[in-house]
Order: sequence, then C-alpha cells, then structure tokens
Amino acid sequence: MVAQSSFFDWLNHHLFTCPFKAHFGIDCPGCGFQRSVIALLKGNFLESLKLYPATIPFLFVIIFMLVHLRYDFKFGAQIIKITVATIAVIILINYIYKIYTHQLII
Amino acid sequence: MSEEQENPQENQPINLNKSETPAGNTGNTGFATPPPFQQAPPFGQFGGGMGHQNLPNATAALVLGIIAIPACCFYGIFGLIFGIIAWILGAGDMKKYELNPTFYTESSYKNAKAGKICGMIATILSLVFIVLVILVIMGAITHPAAYDEFFKGIH
Repeated sequence: MVAQSSFFDWLNHHLFTCPFKAHFGIDCPGCGFQRSVIALLKGNFLESLKLYPATIPFLFVIIFMLVHLRYDFKFGAQIIKITVATIAVIILINYIYKIYTHQLII
Repeated sequence: MSEEQENPQENQPINLNKSETPAGNTGNTGFATPPPFQQAPPFGQFGGGMGHQNLPNATAALVLGIIAIPACCFYGIFGLIFGIIAWILGAGDMKKYELNPTFYTESSYKNAKAGKICGMIATILSLVFIVLVILVIMGAITHPAAYDEFFKGIH
C-alpha cells in the first residue's frame, strides 16, 4: 500500500504541464485527462468521469482498435468511427459546460 | 535424411498446382479467355492473390486518426497535423481501392475509411480549438476586463 500510494504521488507530481494552461491560465479541451487516468488507475470511476468524461471511451477505443487490427472484426471500423465521433462530441460538450460554469480556472 | 524428407514436401504443392491448372481450364471450357490474374496470383505466399492484400496505409490512417483526437490539446497543432495526415492517407487508400477493388481486402478499405473519418473529426476539433485560442488571445488583448469576467467569473 505504501509503495502504491508513493507511486501515485510520484505520478501526480510528474504530469505533463499543459502549455496553454501555463500561458493563459485557462484549461484547454484536453485538460484533466491525465488526472482522470490516474483516478481510473486508482479504481475511482466517478472521479475519472468528473475530471474528464472522455477518458473511458478513449481508452476503450484505443484497446478496441488494437484488438480490431489483430482479429479484424466485421463491424470494427464502424464501431471505431461511432466511438470517435462520440468522443469528439463529449469533449466539445464538456468544454462548453466548463466555460459556462466558470470551471476553467481551478 | 533431412533433405530427403524435405524434398517430397516441396514437390507436392508444385505437383498439386500443375494438376489443378489443367483441371481448372477443362472446367472452364465455356469461357474463351479467363482473366489472367486469376490463374497467376501475385501473392502465392498467402494462398492466392484475389483480395488478399491489405491497403498499405489503412492501419496508419486509423491509428493516426485516433491518436489525433487527444493530441488536439497542445494548441491544436499536433491534432491538426495528425488529423490531416490520417485524412490524406485514408482518402488515398480509398482511391486505390476504388481503382482496383478486387486486389485489396474489404476490411482494410473499411479501416482506411474509418481512419479518414476520424482524421476529419480530429481536424475539425483542432480547428475549433485553434479558433478558440485566437479568440482568447484577441479578447485578452482588446478587452481584459470582459475576458476576466467571462472566464474567471469575476463580477
């Protein structure tokens, strides 16, 4: 447990800094993704969804793409297309919601 | 011993091919000239060339198209580059498939199409973000008070 928590501490202190946020002080559409992945690694699905709702579908589409390229599903390309379009819509809605509720500066 | 064992294994498929081709010709007596590419498949390694070759850039287009979606957060530049590359690769492979549909596999065509569409989505997303960046910079320069009010919620 100690090793696990220290690993997450290390991870929390070694995230890539968003250049947009560093310059303008405003979240970019991708901000929250790394924190969300860490929350997901801890097993905290709700926190991951709150931080960045597109993380779970994005990780799903990455894994599904690798499996699809290996085993060649019949409707694999169709599923990837629909999921990517959904991710784009989720990112846009999330960003507009963040602007609307003044969450961009934390 | 090993050479003697390998030799009949190598000879058997050749004999089978020789026996198959006359049988195929006698069976197709109704057709005067069968298409030549059916008898001489260019990719014998996979057991016959008809539609067994994947499009060259389908996988690359698909991977780039998906990677371009999260790459839009670095000012949108990487997302734009990856998205446009995926779009071009996917569209080029779709053209290749439409020129010669029997030569390539249909699944790789679907992958190329998906890569093209993912690239288009990523390009549009990145463009929206770039427009937003420009608007934010313009707003911060021209109307600092309104900028603070809009984004920080200071009233």
